[in-house]
Amino acid sequence: MGSVRNCYVHIPFCKKICSYCDFCKLFYDRKYVSQYLDSLQLEIATYYQGEELDTIYIGGGTPSSLSDSELEKLFSILSVLKKSSSCEVTIEANFDSITESKLDICKKYGVNRISFGLESTHAWILEKMGRSLDLDYVRHIIAYCKKIGICNINVDLMYAFLGESLEEVEEDINFIQNLDVPHISTYSLILEEHTKLYLDKEQSISEELDAKMYEVICSKLSDYTHYEISNFYKEGYSSRHNLCYWQNREYYGFGLGASGYLGDIRYTNTRSITHYLQKKFRYLEENLSIYDKMEYEMILNLRTKKGISKKNFFDKYSMKLEDCYSYLELVREGYLIEDDEYLAIPEKYFYLSNEILVRLLEECCYE
Amino acid sequence: MKQENIRNFCIIAHIDHGKSTLADRILEKTGAIEKRELKSQMLDSMDIERERGITIKLNAVQLTYHHEGEDYYFHLIDTPGHVDFSYEVSRSLAACEGALLVVDAAQGVEAQTLANLYLALDNNLTVIPVVNKIDLPSADIPKVIEELENIGFSKDEIIFTSAKTGVGIDELLEAIIKKIPAPTGDYTKPLKALIFDSLFDAYRGVIISIRVVEGKVKVGDIIRMMDTGAVYDVVGLSINTPKEVKVSSLKAGEVGYLYASIKSISDVSVGDTITLDSNPADVALPGYQPMKPMVYSGLYPIDASKFEDLREALEKLKLNDASLSFEPETSKALGFGFRCGFLGLLHMEIIEERIEREFGIDLIATSPSVVYEVILSDGSKMLVDSPTKMPKREVISKTMEPYVKTSIFTPTDYIGPIMELCQDKRGTFLNMEYLDQSRVTIHYELPLSEIVYDFFDKLKSYTKGYASFDYEFIGYKESNLVKMDILLNGDVVDALSVIVHKDFAYNRGKVVVEKLKEIIPRQMFEVPIQAAIGNHVIARTDIKALRKNVLAKCYGGDVTRKKKLLEKQKEGKKRMKRIGSVEVPQEAFLSILSTSDK
Repeated sequence: MGSVRNCYVHIPFCKKICSYCDFCKLFYDRKYVSQYLDSLQLEIATYYQGEELDTIYIGGGTPSSLSDSELEKLFSILSVLKKSSSCEVTIEANFDSITESKLDICKKYGVNRISFGLESTHAWILEKMGRSLDLDYVRHIIAYCKKIGICNINVDLMYAFLGESLEEVEEDINFIQNLDVPHISTYSLILEEHTKLYLDKEQSISEELDAKMYEVICSKLSDYTHYEISNFYKEGYSSRHNLCYWQNREYYGFGLGASGYLGDIRYTNTRSITHYLQKKFRYLEENLSIYDKMEYEMILNLRTKKGISKKNFFDKYSMKLEDCYSYLELVREGYLIEDDEYLAIPEKYFYLSNEILVRLLEECCYE
Repeated sequence: MKQENIRNFCIIAHIDHGKSTLADRILEKTGAIEKRELKSQMLDSMDIERERGITIKLNAVQLTYHHEGEDYYFHLIDTPGHVDFSYEVSRSLAACEGALLVVDAAQGVEAQTLANLYLALDNNLTVIPVVNKIDLPSADIPKVIEELENIGFSKDEIIFTSAKTGVGIDELLEAIIKKIPAPTGDYTKPLKALIFDSLFDAYRGVIISIRVVEGKVKVGDIIRMMDTGAVYDVVGLSINTPKEVKVSSLKAGEVGYLYASIKSISDVSVGDTITLDSNPADVALPGYQPMKPMVYSGLYPIDASKFEDLREALEKLKLNDASLSFEPETSKALGFGFRCGFLGLLHMEIIEERIEREFGIDLIATSPSVVYEVILSDGSKMLVDSPTKMPKREVISKTMEPYVKTSIFTPTDYIGPIMELCQDKRGTFLNMEYLDQSRVTIHYELPLSEIVYDFFDKLKSYTKGYASFDYEFIGYKESNLVKMDILLNGDVVDALSVIVHKDFAYNRGKVVVEKLKEIIPRQMFEVPIQAAIGNHVIARTDIKALRKNVLAKCYGGDVTRKKKLLEKQKEGKKRMKRIGSVEVPQEAFLSILSTSDK
């Protein structure tokens, strides 16, 4: 039995396809769902080694697009996964498909964290995204979650659409703050190839405005802890599953297009539903050298406010962090901060993290 | 080979007037093309495969032509490539007794036609005027005849050809035999052979193209280079037909190749005379005058560890390009590199491209500079070929810059725009001559530095490509010059400094900083770009700090994608040079060049 403690499960179906989304998704179709769940069951049976898991994350697509009975089937398949006593079980949901009865089912099967895609509260932006939202229903659903005891709630927000104003971003934040949820994720729009927005030749907003919006969000969320570039939590409600990614820990990834990290291998599953239903699950496997692992260790850990633990690095790779990367200049310039235990990107330079990482990786002392 | 049956000649022409096609046609008429085909069948053999590179690169061909019962040996010496550089031509001319001056029947006499003609006459060559492309519908033969008469030829000595259809080639070959004198050197005198080209071959070392002027050289002879003093055993002698044929000796009047296991490139200098060590000649041949570099630029390897490779590349290129000069130079911004001298901008671009392509070294070239003369307050004179060598203003008594006299050939329609251009470039009008009713030559005196920048491109665009031009150096003139520094983030980047005329400095500074702003990507912090003369800032702009919020989500744990993105970004940075704390792309250093196009 391996040492994996985390698991991601992908449900690719969506009621609507959002214009910005380049993740693996399929238009919801009942006849596929049942076959898909059968394949998923087989994939889990093939690869799962029986470890006791600390986190399970059901993402999408839109897991809440499944019907009540399909959800029941999904959870019965997942019941093969052993859960630790404090296991964090998250499911993603959208307000256009979540219902009280689906929430009841989730609760029944041990879901204790829900991540909602809200994205915006403004009708014109939602329209551009290809989404819709009833704000009263949002308030109602959040209240219902809390009522049935699922208080660990995240809301996703997306910003930086062309034409969006700072005030509109503030209004979004105000709305979310009023929902009183303990976790918020915010993402600046990235125009990815192969998305509807990209094909429609949507333009980006200026870098200055983008940065300003980020600043506004960070300052308005000052009562939250800004623990990762895009994530904010209130004490006790960090996402343990996401931390597993950022701390470069192993995880299973099951389902269409899912990625996983086991031992020396990072793998990505096929994005082709045909192949997936034919049980051809794996698509790409990257065999990791110790240096690859070290790079991942850096780029992932440095997403977090805490940064990378020098001790942890040494324990994993038997090399000192400072012997692998010459980062002193970056520290001197203020782009990195270090103390006896950690090396981190200061919060005010989170938006430069790519540039800082590139410079850091260039300064590696191996190769 | 009877000396009186040898004819050594070259073909000179303005660019695109049909020089290469005419050469091919002569090769075909004399049967050399058949031999060429024969060769291609023999290419499987390893020896020839190895030698093939040489036949391609060395451009002196021996052709046998049977005429009126006699075998004649033609040595057609190609004037290599870009005729924009008369030194290339002058080098070949020194090995010849005659030249074919090719003029396009539609285009007529152009600037380079004249320049090359004068070079040939300077070398005492017999010149045969050839009007080529007479098959063109746009050919205007009476007009071309008139133009040739205006420059001193008589109508009946002109040969009319179409290299495309083959018309006139027989007449041309006959004229070569009749008009071009045979070489006259004495076999019995001590050896004098002119080195007119050389190249480096990985198997045989340096291969030297020679024209034996007096005496003879055999395989096994011990030779001495009269200038460098180097002594070698002759390992082999060959001629090119165009297939390589080994010969045992070369005699006065003949042209061929010599190799002697020469590993040290610096022992061979084009223009030097080869003699026998045991029986040396008293005086060396005049050779030809290698032209002095007019334009200097610093070449730096992007990857600092390639410095020695760059030196080797420059040495190899200098082998058949005597006008290229270089010496090591250090820049605070760019590290170790070479200050290189070129004949002009095109020459510089060609050398840079060859280094990047043939030697695989990524380069940064600093903005080119001409050689300035600076008279210091103590009366002494110094030459400044790099802005970094410009002394402080306090110790300068006066500054001088090189001037050239240009001859611009143009249809009369473009006289106006050309004069405007020359005024913009600080030109002084000299005079204008009508070649015929529709074409003129305009003479201007211009600072060489203006020509170096973008004069040629501008001229072409102002005249839709119809004008051609040539220039000659006329001397130094006093000029109010200043060194303009560029500061990035407050630090002077020595490699970006330029010397400019004071009256134009403000304008130039403004354009340069704007241009750099476009080229240098946003950095992690705001970067001011300033242009300054001494401590006085004359232009400023800022590169805004990078602000894009690249907070890509790790979708479902797909972190591989994030890593790939970073790797791509890392790859992109390899073409940049870090100067102080600023990442500067390669193009920035040349951007100073194309500044006036705004």
